Amino acid sequence: MRKRATKPAAGTVLTVVTVLSAVSLAACSSSSDEQEGPAQAPVNQAQIDEALNTPTTLTFWTWVPNIEDEVALFEAKYPSIDVKVENVGQGLAQYQKLRTALKSGEGAPDLVQVEFQYIPSFTITKSLLDLTPYGAGDLKANYPEWIWNQVAPSGGVYGLPQDSGPMGNLYRADILKEAGITEAPQTWEQYAADARTVRDKTDSYISNLASNEPAAMVGLLWQAGAQPFGFDGEKTVTIDVNSDAAKQVYAYWQDLIAQDLVSTDPDFTDSWYQGFSRDKYAGWLTAAWAPVFLQGTVKDTAGKWKAAPLPQWSSGEPVAGNWGGSSDAVLATSKNPIAAYELAEFLNTDPESTRMLNEQQNLFPVQTAQLEDSAFTEAKSDFFGGQPVNELFSQIAPTVNTDFQWLPFMDYAYSRFNETIGDAMTNKGDLGAAADLWQSDLEKYAQQQGFEVN
Amino acid sequence: MTRRRSTLLTVLLWLVALYFVLPLAWLALSSTKDNSDLFTSFGFWFGDRFSLADNLRAVFEFRDGQYLRWTLNTAIYAFAGATGASLLATMAGYAFAKYRFPGDKLYFSVILGAIMIPLTALALPTYLIFNAANLTNTMWAIIVPSLVSPFGVYLMRVYAADSVPDALIEAARIDGAGELRIFAQIGLRLLGPGIVTVFLFTLVATWNNYFLPLIMLNSSDLYPLTVGLAQQQAASAAGGGSEALFSTVITGSFVSVVPLVIAFVFLQRYWQSGLGAGSVKG
Repeated sequence: MRKRATKPAAGTVLTVVTVLSAVSLAACSSSSDEQEGPAQAPVNQAQIDEALNTPTTLTFWTWVPNIEDEVALFEAKYPSIDVKVENVGQGLAQYQKLRTALKSGEGAPDLVQVEFQYIPSFTITKSLLDLTPYGAGDLKANYPEWIWNQVAPSGGVYGLPQDSGPMGNLYRADILKEAGITEAPQTWEQYAADARTVRDKTDSYISNLASNEPAAMVGLLWQAGAQPFGFDGEKTVTIDVNSDAAKQVYAYWQDLIAQDLVSTDPDFTDSWYQGFSRDKYAGWLTAAWAPVFLQGTVKDTAGKWKAAPLPQWSSGEPVAGNWGGSSDAVLATSKNPIAAYELAEFLNTDPESTRMLNEQQNLFPVQTAQLEDSAFTEAKSDFFGGQPVNELFSQIAPTVNTDFQWLPFMDYAYSRFNETIGDAMTNKGDLGAAADLWQSDLEKYAQQQGFEVN
Repeated sequence: MTRRRSTLLTVLLWLVALYFVLPLAWLALSSTKDNSDLFTSFGFWFGDRFSLADNLRAVFEFRDGQYLRWTLNTAIYAFAGATGASLLATMAGYAFAKYRFPGDKLYFSVILGAIMIPLTALALPTYLIFNAANLTNTMWAIIVPSLVSPFGVYLMRVYAADSVPDALIEAARIDGAGELRIFAQIGLRLLGPGIVTVFLFTLVATWNNYFLPLIMLNSSDLYPLTVGLAQQQAASAAGGGSEALFSTVITGSFVSVVPLVIAFVFLQRYWQSGLGAGSVKG
C-alpha cells in the first residue's frame, strides 16, 4: 500500500495527534529498557496449538478493503479465534490513532497493517514484537531479498510482508504512437528525448511527476541506487537526501520540468484523475499496484495502455525502485501474540489467502513462489491490450535495489519533502538547492529528537 | 408602502444564493454519474450515462449496508445531542434571564467567551478526559460533548428575557407555584420557538461533526456518516488494494444531506419566528 500524505482531513488530525505522539517519539531512547526482557525462546508447537484452540478475540487494524474474506478462511480453520477487523483510517491516519492508543495504554489492536517505510517509526518505540521466536525467521527464503530487508530492518523481523509496489512505466501506446514512438524508452536519456517528441507532436505530457508525492520521487531515488535514509534501530540515523546519486535524479527531472516536458500536478486529486481521462498524461511512472488502480478510475481508456520497465540509468542489469508496500505487524502490547502472529502468517502465506489478496484486493504479491506462479504471470490484461502485465512486474520485482532503509520519522521527512523539493517542482525551481534544504531540515530535526546523525 | 427594488441588492442576493446552491447542485448532478463520467463530463450537467440508481444501490449495499449503520449512528448522535443540549441550554438560559444570583454576570461572561472557542480546539482535552474515564470508542464519547452548547445558552437567555414576562412569573409565584413548576408549565411553553431553534442548531452541528468522532472512535460500527464517508473517500487513493468509490462517496454525501434539508423545510417557521422574535423585541 502506498502512503497518502495529503488527504483532506489528515492535516487537522496531524496537529492533534502530533501532540499526543510527540512524547512517545521524544521518549524513545529512554523508555526502551523496561520492555526489553531476555531474548525469548522460540515458541513451540504445543504453545501454538494451545493458543489457537483457546477462545480468543483478536483485533486487526487494516485498510485493505474486504480483507474479512481472507480472515474468514482463518476463522474457519481455527474456530476458537474470533477476529475483529477494523479500518480506522489509511496510512498516516491509522498510525496516528495507533500511537494515540499505545500512548493511552488501551484500545490498541493485536495485529496492525504497517507500510514498509513506517516500520522503523514503530520499532523505535518498541511497539512492534520481534516475530523471530514465533517462526518468522524461517520465512526469509520465501521472499525477494529486498522485501525481506524491508520487514527486517535491524536484526529482528517486525512484520510479515503483505504487498509491494515495484516500479515500472505505464504508458498510453496510442498517444505515443501518434507522436511516432512505438517502443518504450530503455534509458532515461531516451525518455527525455521521447518527452520532447510527445510534447511537440501531441497535446499530452509523457507523464506527470506529482509534486506532492514523495514516495514516487523516493522510488526513483531508490532505482538510481541512492541511499537517502538509514537507521541502525537504536540511536543513529543516516540522512543523505542530497547525495550525488540523488542529485543526478533531481537534475534530470528539473531539466524536464523546466522545459515543460513533464507536468507536476498533485496526484489523487480531481484534476489529476481528469488528466488521465482527458489524455493530458501519456504515461505514469508508477508501481505494480497501479495497473489495477487505473482500471478502476479511468475505465474509458481501456485497451490503450502498455506497461514497460522503468528507463535505466546505465546499460547492464535492469534496476527498479519500489513505491508502496506493507506488512502486518504484531504489537508488543498484544495479549495474544501467538494467535496474532498465526493470523498474520496465515493471511500472508496461505496459498488460498494470498491468491485472494491478489485477485480480489489487487495487492501485488510479495512471495517469490506467487510471483513465479504461472496462473499469476500468464493472466492477460484487457486494459493493457492483452499484455500479461503481471509477468512484467514479476520480472521487475527481483530487480529492486536491495538495501533501502527508512528513517524512524518518515512522516516528518515526507511532509518536509513537499515543502522543499515539492515546492521547487511546482515552481520550476532548483531541485538540487531544495534537496540541500531538505537535508539540513532533516538533520536539524533528527538532532532535536535526540538522534545521532551519521 | 411603495415596493422599492435595489438592483445592487438583488444582484448581491442572487450571487449569495448561487454561492450556496451551486455546490448542492453539483452534488445532486454528480450523484447521477459513474466514475468515468465524473472525470470526463461537465460538472454542472448530466454525464453520458444516468447512474443514480446504480449509485444508490452501491451506497446501500457497500459492505453489507454499512451506510445504514452510519446513518443510524448519526441520527442517534444528532438527536440525543440536540435534545439534551436544547434542554440544558433552555434551563440555563432561563435561569440567567430570570434569576439574580451571586456571580451570574461572571458565569454568563464565561459562557459568552466559550462561544468563541471552536469545538475542534476542545477535542484534544476532551479526548484525554474521556480516555481517562474509559469512554473513548463508545457512543457517549460523541453524545456527551454534544450536550454542551454555549451559543444555545446565550440564545435562550436573550429569548427568555423577552418572551417570558416577569409579571407572569410573579403572578405564578403569588399563586403558590414553585420555581420548577413555573419553568415547566409557563417557561417551557413560552420558550417553544426558541427551543426549536437551539434544537436545530445543535442538531446540524452534531450531524455535521467530523473531528470529534474522528479522534474518539476506532470502530467502524460506531462511525457517523461524516467519518465513514471520509474513510470511503480515502480508500480511492490507497494504491495497492484501492477501491475507486468516488461515485459511491458522492451519492452517499448527497443522501446524507437530504434529511437535514427536509428538517429545515418543515421547521422553517420555527427558524423564522425564533430569529424574528429576538430581533423585534430586543
